[in-house]
Amino acid sequence: MKRFCEECLDAATAAGASYADVRVTDTTKQSLSVRNGVVEGVQGGTSVGFGVRVIADGAWGFAASSELSPEAAVRVAREAVAIARASARVPARAVRLAPVEPAHATWSGPCAIDPFTVSTDDKLALLLAADAAMRAIDGISLATGEMEFLKCRKTFASSEGALIEQDWVESAAGITAFAIDEGEVMRRSYPNSLGGASFQGGWETITALDLVANAPLIAGQAIELMSAPVCPGETTTLILDATQLALQVHESIGHPTELDRVLGDEAAFAGTSWVGARDLGTLRYGSDIVNVTADATIPGSLGSFGFDDEGVPAQREYLVRDGILTGFLSSRESAAVIGRTSSGAMRADGWNRTPLVRMTTVSLEPGTAGTLADLIADTDRGIYMETNDSWSIDDKRLNFQFACEIAWEITGGKLGRMLRNPSYTGISPRFWGSCDAICSPVEWRVHGLGNCGKGEPMQVAHVAHGAAPARFRDVQVGVGR
Amino acid sequence: MIPIEHAQELAAALLDAARGAGAQQVEALAVASDAALTRFAGNRIHQNVASTDVELQVRAVVGTQVGVASTNATDAAGIEECAASAVDAARRAPADPDFPGLPGPRPVEYADRVSPATLHFDAAARADAVAALIEPTSRGGGIAAGGVACQHSLIAIANTLGVAIAMPRTSLRTTVLATGPEGGTGWASFTSCDASTLDAHTLGVFAADTARRSADAIDLAPGDYTVVLAPEAVADITQFLAWYGCSAKSVHEGRSFMSGKIGQRVTSEMITLIDDALAPGAMGMTFDYEGQPRQRVVLIDHGVAVGPVTDSYWAAKTGSPNTGHALPAPNSEGPLPLDVELAAGDATLADMVASVKRGIYVTRFHYVNIEDPTRQTLTGMTRDGTFMIENGELTKPVRDLRFTQPMLDALDTTLAISKQRTLVGEEAPVVVPYLLLERFAFTGQKSRA
Repeated sequence: MKRFCEECLDAATAAGASYADVRVTDTTKQSLSVRNGVVEGVQGGTSVGFGVRVIADGAWGFAASSELSPEAAVRVAREAVAIARASARVPARAVRLAPVEPAHATWSGPCAIDPFTVSTDDKLALLLAADAAMRAIDGISLATGEMEFLKCRKTFASSEGALIEQDWVESAAGITAFAIDEGEVMRRSYPNSLGGASFQGGWETITALDLVANAPLIAGQAIELMSAPVCPGETTTLILDATQLALQVHESIGHPTELDRVLGDEAAFAGTSWVGARDLGTLRYGSDIVNVTADATIPGSLGSFGFDDEGVPAQREYLVRDGILTGFLSSRESAAVIGRTSSGAMRADGWNRTPLVRMTTVSLEPGTAGTLADLIADTDRGIYMETNDSWSIDDKRLNFQFACEIAWEITGGKLGRMLRNPSYTGISPRFWGSCDAICSPVEWRVHGLGNCGKGEPMQVAHVAHGAAPARFRDVQVGVGR
Repeated sequence: MIPIEHAQELAAALLDAARGAGAQQVEALAVASDAALTRFAGNRIHQNVASTDVELQVRAVVGTQVGVASTNATDAAGIEECAASAVDAARRAPADPDFPGLPGPRPVEYADRVSPATLHFDAAARADAVAALIEPTSRGGGIAAGGVACQHSLIAIANTLGVAIAMPRTSLRTTVLATGPEGGTGWASFTSCDASTLDAHTLGVFAADTARRSADAIDLAPGDYTVVLAPEAVADITQFLAWYGCSAKSVHEGRSFMSGKIGQRVTSEMITLIDDALAPGAMGMTFDYEGQPRQRVVLIDHGVAVGPVTDSYWAAKTGSPNTGHALPAPNSEGPLPLDVELAAGDATLADMVASVKRGIYVTRFHYVNIEDPTRQTLTGMTRDGTFMIENGELTKPVRDLRFTQPMLDALDTTLAISKQRTLVGEEAPVVVPYLLLERFAFTGQKSRA
C-alpha cells in the first residue's frame, strides 16, 4: 500500500500540487435486522477505494476512485489537481494549513471478539430471542431488532511525509417495541433509539447489552404509554437521562463548536453557529458546572482514533470549561484561520469523501449530584425524560426542540405518573445556563452515535458523547400544547 | 463511467455466480456513478470533489430464505465472493413464509434522462457557475455559499426470472445562500437533469435580493398564522407525507396517517398527492429496484387517502397490485414513492399574498423532523426569507420562527394552491406549488443568543 500511496503523491506533486494526501480505505460491513419474528435482512458488503486531496494554485481539489491500480493512481491524482486549478478560477485567499509533525505510525481499536468470526446464526438467534421477549408482552404489535458490524482498515499518506495505518472494529445493536392502536404509536427502545448502542469493539460489547433480559421492560413501558396522560405544556424543571443528554450535547454544543461551521463553510446546508471565532475564552456557554471535552482517545468510544484524516494525532481538549467557551473542533485549515493548531477532528465517511470537521467524543463531564435516584430525590417538582424520539435545531444551533419516548412526573422527590409524547424546547446558551446539577461519575457513560449527518454530499460520521443525567431549570415542555 | 453494456454484463455475471453457489433465484444490481460537487462559502470555493464508483449487489434466494451482499470489487474474484456471501447469508436466514419469490419481467416505459450538457459540465464549468452565483451577493458587500453538484449514474438490474433492464440518468443541483451585509439571508435553488437550463446569475440575483429584503428582521410572537409557503417549504411537508405515510409497510403496521383511513378524507379536498415517475420533469428511474415498472399512483385524491405504494413483497402480503416502488433489498422502509408531486391549483402567488390580511410568507424550512407520524406532526424552523404579509402585501422580514404543526390539520385549512410548480430536492425531488394555508402553528422564535 505504501508504494501505491507514493504513486498517488508523486503524480499529484508532479502535476503541480503544493500539498497532497491520499487515503486508502477498505471497509467491510454486516447488518442484520428482524421484525416481528421474521428476519428482515441479512446483508454483508465491502467497499474499497482511495481518495486524493490536493492544494494547487492555492485551492482545494479532491478526486476518488474504486480502482486501485498504478494507472488509476496517476489519473486520479491528476484529476484532483485539475479540480483544484478549477477551484482557483474563483479568486480567494490561498489555503493555509496549520503545521503538524508528519507521523509514521499504526493504531488499532479495541476488539476482544471479532464480530465477523461470530456466526450469523448466533447473531440472529440473539435478535430473535429479544424479539420474542418483546412480543410476549400482551399488546405489542410490532417488535424490531437490529445489529451492525463494521471493520475498517485505512492508510493515510501525505506529501509532507506522513504514513499512518489504522484499523478498528465497530459493533452496534438495539431493539424497539411498538404499541399501536387507533392512530396512536408508542415506541420504546433499548439501549437507545436511533439504532441502539454502538461501540468501538467486538461481539463482547453486544452480549454485554443483555438485549433479551431488557426486552420485557421496554415492551411493558410501550403498553403503559398507551394509557398514560400526554406530557402537559408548561415551564418546569427538567431532568434528562444520559442518552437524551448525549444528543442534546451533540446538537447544541458539538455542532456549534465545529470551527468550519463557525467560519461559515457549512452555511448553505447544515448552517453556521451562534458562536464566533472571537468568542474563545470569553463566551459564557452554560452555568459554572458545565464542562465539555472533545476526546478522541477514549478506548472503545465510537469517536476514537489514533490520527484524524489529516494525520493529526488524537487529542483531548476542553471545549467549555466552567461554563466558558475554551476550544473548537478544528482542521488544519480552519485552525490556521484563527492562528491555532488543529484539534485533530477531520474525518471522512469513506474513501470517496473529503474529510470534514467532525465530533470525536464530545462529553458533558460528570458533576457531583450523585446517582439519578439522588438527583430525582433532590427535585421537588419537574419532569424526567428518557430516550430520544425526534430532534430539530435551527441553522445557528440556538433554538432546539426534542421529543423523547417516555417521561415521568417528579413530585416531592419521587417519580410519579408516566407521561407520553414528551417534548421540550429551548435556546442553547439559556438551556445550558440553567443546568444546576449533573450526576456523578458513577452515572457517566459514553454513548455512541452512528448517524451524524453533515456536509454535501452527505457524510455520516460515527461519533460519541459521554454524559450523566443532569437537571435544567425553567424549561418549556409539552411544546404546542 | 462504465458503459451500460458493461453494467449489464456485471449483473449477468452476478446471476451466474450466485446460481453456481446454490441460489434458486437471484437478483443483481450494478450501480455506477460519476459524481462531482463544487461547494462555496465566504465567496470562495472551499470544497471541490469528484468520485467514480461501481457497486454490485446481489440478492440470493434459497426457498424462502433471502440473503444480500454487496461489493465494489468488479473483477471475477470480487463477483464470486459477493455471490457466495449472499448465498451463505440466505442459507443462514430463517425462512420467511411471506416471501413471494422474485418478480418476473414486466414492460417498462423508458424516459431519456441523460443530458449531454450535464455530462460535459466539468470542474471549470462548475467554477464559472459558482462565480455567477456569488457575484450578485458579493457586489452588494455580502457573502454567498452553496454548491453545484452534477451526477451521471447508471443502474442495471437483472434477475433469474428474466428481468434485464438498465437506465442512465444525469442530474444537476445548484443552491445559493446569500447573506447580506446587514445580516439578512436569501436562498435559491435549481434541480434538473439538464445543466443547459441552469441560469446561475438569475439564481444569484434572486438570493441576493431576498437577503437584502430580509435585513433588520422584526420579532413576531409565536401563535397561529395564515401562511403562504413557497415550494421549498411545501417540499418538506410533501416528502414527510410521502415517505412516512405512503408505504404499504407503514400503512400495514399502523404507523401511517393512512392506516385505517383509506377511503376517508384526511386533508382539504384541494390536496391531491401523486407519485409518477413518467411525469414531465420527473428525474427518477422509470422502474424500481426489482426492475418493475414504477406506476402512477394517486396517494391522496382531493383530500381522500387512496392507498400506498407497494413492491413485490408488500403487494403479496397485503393482496394489492405491485405498483413498482421497491427500494434496494433489504431495507427497513419498505416500498416508497420517489417521484412525488402535489397537484397544481389555479392561483398565482400574487393572488395568494393579496388575499391575506395578516400572515407570514415562508421561503423554506430548516431541519424538519417528525414527532408524530400518524398525525404528521412536524417541527422545524423557517429560514432565509420569512416575511410578514399585511393587507395583501409582503412587508417586514420576520426573525425565524419554529413551528410545531400536525400537517394533516394544516393541509385541511388549504385556501389556495398555485398553478406554478417547481421541482425541489436532491435525492428524490418533488414537484410542488405554493400553498396558502389558513392556520399554521408557530411555537417558538430564533433568539439573539
